[in-house]
Amino acid sequence: MSVKAREVLGEDPEVFFAEKRYEFIAEILPRVLRGARPLTLSDLLDRVFLNKYLGIPIFLAFWWALFRFTFDVSAPFSDLIDMFFSSLGEISYSVIGDEHIASFLAEGIFGGLGGVLVFLPPIFFLFFGLSILEDSGYLARAAFVVDRIMYKLGLHGKSFIPMLIGFGCNIPGIMATRTIDSEKDRILTILVNPLMSCSARLPVYVLIGGAVLGSYAAAGTYAMYILGIVLAVFVALLLRRTIPYFKGRPSPFILELPMYSMPTFKSTLIHMWERGVLFLKKAGTIILAGIIVVWFLSSHPWGVPLEETYLAMLGHALEPIFRPLGFDWRGAVALAFGFIAKEIVVGSFAVMFGMGEESEIGEIQEVIRSEGIFTPVTGLAFMAFTLIYIPCVATLGVIYRETNSWKWTIFAVLYGLVLAYAVSLLIITVGHGLGYM
Amino acid sequence: MRMPLAMLNEKEEATVVEVKGGKGLVRRLSELGLTPGTKVKILFSNSPGPAVIDVRGSKIALGRGLLMKIFVKPEAETY
Amino acid sequence: MIEVALIGNPNVGKSLLFNDLTGGKAHVGNWPGKTVEKKEGICRYKGEEIKIVDLPGTYSLTAHSIDELIARDYIVKEKPDVVIDIVDASNLERNLYLTLQLLELEANVVIALNKYDIAKSLGYRIDVDELSRILGVRVIPTVATTKEGIDKLLEAVLEAAREKKRRKVTIGYGKAAEKLISRVERTILKDKDLSSRYPTRWLAIKILEGDEEILKEVEKSRFRNEILEVIK
Repeated sequence: MSVKAREVLGEDPEVFFAEKRYEFIAEILPRVLRGARPLTLSDLLDRVFLNKYLGIPIFLAFWWALFRFTFDVSAPFSDLIDMFFSSLGEISYSVIGDEHIASFLAEGIFGGLGGVLVFLPPIFFLFFGLSILEDSGYLARAAFVVDRIMYKLGLHGKSFIPMLIGFGCNIPGIMATRTIDSEKDRILTILVNPLMSCSARLPVYVLIGGAVLGSYAAAGTYAMYILGIVLAVFVALLLRRTIPYFKGRPSPFILELPMYSMPTFKSTLIHMWERGVLFLKKAGTIILAGIIVVWFLSSHPWGVPLEETYLAMLGHALEPIFRPLGFDWRGAVALAFGFIAKEIVVGSFAVMFGMGEESEIGEIQEVIRSEGIFTPVTGLAFMAFTLIYIPCVATLGVIYRETNSWKWTIFAVLYGLVLAYAVSLLIITVGHGLGYM
Repeated sequence: MRMPLAMLNEKEEATVVEVKGGKGLVRRLSELGLTPGTKVKILFSNSPGPAVIDVRGSKIALGRGLLMKIFVKPEAETY
Repeated sequence: MIEVALIGNPNVGKSLLFNDLTGGKAHVGNWPGKTVEKKEGICRYKGEEIKIVDLPGTYSLTAHSIDELIARDYIVKEKPDVVIDIVDASNLERNLYLTLQLLELEANVVIALNKYDIAKSLGYRIDVDELSRILGVRVIPTVATTKEGIDKLLEAVLEAAREKKRRKVTIGYGKAAEKLISRVERTILKDKDLSSRYPTRWLAIKILEGDEEILKEVEKSRFRNEILEVIK
């Protein structure tokens, strides 16, 4: 005799069982728990943070504070690390007789280690700040506040934390997408994450912007960050409209808002450490390897002038592709190395100008100006290209791991290249059209 | 008199009557305590965006789509 | 070596408790075949070596999400000696939902009643002994941030691990439901393999709930038609 469970229970079985469990809990609760819940600090804070009108401005304020904290506090540490490895390099030259080996040590090893470690302070401080926001419970409120906008932009409210982290480094940013339940939303967030201008790209903006944009250098840099966000939104909306897989609205937003609590120093450090170490392990080794590769290609065949090195050969081979954008062989090479790691780009320019990798930024900028390597318009286009083109190798590796699909990883590369070229070309055309150089 | 949770305003209370949706959704909400018979209260509404509701002592933020799928019986008798 | 699993709702302080127990030294990897992180650590207490496995934070043990399935599969297949259920004392009602599911799964539960300090500051007074009595498991108040209660927790874990017989705690679902559960249980018992791998009452309830993963398992059984007759 077949009996329908639903009929017997009077409703959907899963709801029935869930209800019964809660009923049981409700019955035993009075025997076990006493004391009403007074109006708490949490409730009061929420009145402010979740306020319809104040919510977003407050969130923007926290975001701004986070980045100021990160960059301002970490700068002295980065400088120290920079100086330390530069000195090690100089010592190598004075101590070791064989110039070949000295060069390998100074520019390859120490240059490489310095190049990686100089990014540790900003990354660790960023994650320190993020951990405080997260552990205190505020981040959940922020997700709630931005959800309404994210939804309209075709993104899930929970995407905003990975995007925020992406501004520090795309690798932990992409890994943070694990909190998004829907696979579609997750992959979409992963695909646009590289458009969040990671901290490694900043030196490129500073270098080029400072060299050719004159008093508009800072504006140019801010423009890149905003461009990244605008493009992320554009790409998200575009993909949702055109690719069948992504069609439909973002999945439902469900998020628990925990009680506010004072984060402990210890737990913040633990979170900061876990995420920072990720960057170090994944990206660190690749960046180090990349810098050694740059050193090798730029100094071999050993002893020949710069124009005859493997590096120059690579550049000249790539040049035709970039000529419409106004980048010469050196720009092409820098971009090629940027694929390995964006952190290497500035150093590779220095190398190509025949200067040591540890040169002062001012000196490199001087060369750019005097030799006309970039003009204001082509410089801006180069900055945009750097922002968009492809995620660095380490990031691609993480994209592959998180999406578990060659298809999406290759897509990430292709759409990046196409979009970068298109946007740069647009900048060149509009710039020249408006009469700028 | 049932209506979607989405139509309630801040500070209003109601009792859950039914959750309409796919199996996964219903279950997910059940786990969080949103089962028929549960009392809920709207704490914050970001209408037409998500709202924060009080469910069994926890604050849960729910998107608009979900708020339309949870049917409740409001506390106020004038409905 | 004693194998202990850590489980609890998100935001209950599980990471901190894990660190308190293992001294922060964790071996991090992935659950096999999944992209979810798996953390394991060792704790030494009174000469015993205790392996602590951190299960994903979850509200329940349904088949809905990967996190829940990982947690559930681990408990069913690896049969850890003890499962520490971390309950947020300031949010008792919702946290106990997972506890009930663990009891139904017949796990050897010890409850760590964490954030006990916060509950007190909110004006809650929890009768720990009564809770322990009702649920049939040891309940230890803890404050992960200050490591209060950790020793007592480990003591309770050792005791629970050494216990041979455990009191089975069940919730009654009402006459009509209990009849259905018994019917399904009887058919399940016909399949020796199925009934040896899972607690039968839990399995029956999952079948009635329409749990996707369990239904897939049942489909493989010779007796699937009989077992599934009830829900069709």
